[in-house]
Parts: sequence; C-alpha cells; structure tokens
Amino acid sequence: MSFKHLFMKSSFVKAPIQNGIGRYVGQLQRITVKFCKEHSDSKGVRDFIENQVVDFAKQNPGIVVYLKPRRHRAPHVKLEYLNGETEILSAKCLSERELRQWLEVARGSSGEPVARLRKMQHTDRPSIQGVWTPWTNVPPQTNLETFPSEEGYRAPQREQTATEKLRELFARQQEQKQLTEETTGTS
Amino acid sequence: MMSLPRRLATSLLGHVRSHITSATCGTSSAGKSASVLWSCRTLSLAPGVSSCPSLVASLRTSAAQLGSASYQDVQPDYEVVAETENKITADVVSQVNRSIADRSTGRLFAVVHINGKQFKVTDGDLVVVQGQWPPALGQQLRLEKVLLVGSADFTLLGRPVLDRGMAAVEATVIEKSLSHTKTIFRKKKRKNYRRINFCRMPLTTLRINSVRLEKTVDQS
Repeated sequence: MSFKHLFMKSSFVKAPIQNGIGRYVGQLQRITVKFCKEHSDSKGVRDFIENQVVDFAKQNPGIVVYLKPRRHRAPHVKLEYLNGETEILSAKCLSERELRQWLEVARGSSGEPVARLRKMQHTDRPSIQGVWTPWTNVPPQTNLETFPSEEGYRAPQREQTATEKLRELFARQQEQKQLTEETTGTS
Repeated sequence: MMSLPRRLATSLLGHVRSHITSATCGTSSAGKSASVLWSCRTLSLAPGVSSCPSLVASLRTSAAQLGSASYQDVQPDYEVVAETENKITADVVSQVNRSIADRSTGRLFAVVHINGKQFKVTDGDLVVVQGQWPPALGQQLRLEKVLLVGSADFTLLGRPVLDRGMAAVEATVIEKSLSHTKTIFRKKKRKNYRRINFCRMPLTTLRINSVRLEKTVDQS
C-alpha cells in the first residue's frame, strides 16, 4: 500500500496572476518533445508528431512546440509553465491518444506542483452580512433588562398543550357541577 | 400587557439591528419565487404602524420569545394582522426593489448549485468542481441555479431557486487538471481479499467574475 498521499504537501485553492479576473491566460507556455526516430518506445510520439502536432500547435497559439530527436533514448515531453515551473512527462510506450490526453491535462493545469487541496473554495470576503455571534438577532430590549427579572427567567412561550386544555375543561365542568348542585340544594 | 408592544415598537424604530421582521412576499400569490428577509437596521416603520394596536399580534413571535405575555393575551385579530403584515411586506419589498434599481446594494453573495454541490460565492472567488464536468478551458459561464442572493441589508431566497434572469452569477473556467493521486484500498479480514486502486479525479477551477441582481423582486 502506498502512503505517499499522507506525506504529500497540502495547499489551498489558488490561481496564478489573478487568472480569470480580466480574461483567461493559458499557463502552459512551451513544450519540448524529445523522441527517437528508430526505437519502438517512441512509436506513439512519432505517430503524434506525424498526425496531430501541427493541429495541436494551431489550436494552441499560446504554446510553443519544439521537437528534438535524439538517438536511442526514451521519449520525454518537457512542459514549461508561466510561473517558471517545469515538468518532465515520460512518454515511453505511450500511444498517440494517451500522449494527446496527457498534453490536454498539462494544458489545463496551472503548473503548481500537485498537492492535496484542503478546501475546494477560496474567498477573500468570507462574510458580507457580518459574522454570526450569539448576540446576533437577539431582541435589543434585553439590553435594558434589570436583574433579577421575572420575565427574563420565564420559559419560552408556547401554545396551550392538549393536557392543559383537558385540565381546563375538567375544571370548568367541575365548577359547573358544583354550581348546579348548589342551585338544586338551595331550591 | 400593553407596555410590552410599546417597548417593542420603540426598539424596532431604534438603531439596533434586530431579529424581528422577516416578511415573506407573495404569500398569497403563487408563482413568485423569491422571499425577502430584511433587517430592521434599515427598515423604518411608520409611526402610525407602530402605534397600531394590532402590532401586538404581528409581533407575537417576539413577544412569545420574551415570554412576557400568556397565550390568552395574544389572541390575534387575523384580518388586522394580515393587513399590517401586508403593509410591512410591501414596505420591505419596495425598499429592496429601490436598492436593486439604483444599484446601491453593495457587494452581493450568492449560493449557487454547481454539479450537485452548493457553494457560497461572491466576486473574485475561486471554486473547484470535482469530477467530470463539460465546460472547456477559458469558457465564460453563467451559473443559472441560484438558490440565494444576499447583500449586507437583505437576502433573497429562492423557492427553491431564484427566477432565471433575476440573478446573474458569471464565472470563467481557469483550470482543468487532475487531483493528487488518491489511494483506494479495500480489505476484508481473514478472507484473503485485498484490492488497491489509485485514482486522480478531474478538477475544474472556476473564477467567479460577478454576482449581480438584474431584476427587482416580483418583476416578471
């Protein structure tokens, strides 16, 4: 089992150079594709170069693409970002499609080293209506209360319960009964 | 018993932000999808209203919370109560509408529903959406499911969401990348069962560009 994530650096959400406030700026600046013209582990990279690299460069005018053949070495792609970070992507035995997918991931990332995100949100203005305190929304007349106070200590007001209603009914009945008895007794 | 409402009324008119008036607009008419909460800091009741005897009833909740009046005392005359409440509601709604119309609401925040999760956002925020999500890099989005919009003085609550076109929450996709590698380890004791998988979730980072109110309350 891997414990790598336990020792991984953690970070909060951030965006370089206030990206997206005015407009979006692509963070990947330059890629250097290093490959071999003969070895089979560069096959996917060679296919990519033959079929897709021109389209990729046209679709992404913000990214400079370099091709660097070197004999009998494993293929790599060097990714350089606007924040100065560089990343080496091993392209050994990758298929054309896989390579394209990894380049797509690189194109979308900001170049920050991968870290566990502690929060999925970041704000500079955590509260607009004010931070809640125990005294928020408490009726202000409690400020003027003098203690000991009968009213302040009374339990919160509620509706009459069924039991109370029954008791009241019973008491009324008893009264009525007494009254009738008295009247009959006197007469 | 009458001393209490007088006190309440004075405190309402006073300067302290209090809890009392939460008026719901459109209670009688269906189809209106916003209700308003307005703090008393900015709500000033007309003197005529405060001296009205039925205010006792309209403020019955606060009286009840104080525990100073028994239930027999507070037997509201429902017609008068409704009238007073409607008046307060109309007053609140008009004040909210006025502040929306002359753009004096100040900074707004909104609760938006994105890809199954709710976020409280304001201008300039960053939000990370986890999992597969179609919007492409650099796209400008308008988030349509707005559950709530609030300013310093009032809150508009959707039932369950605000009308389309009422609140404008705009965002830009600034990053589409992968999370760190997460280890998924399953094991059953004494059953010789161990599975280990690794996954990296797709993450989409959004920059919230603006939160605005484009329509007044109850405007169709």
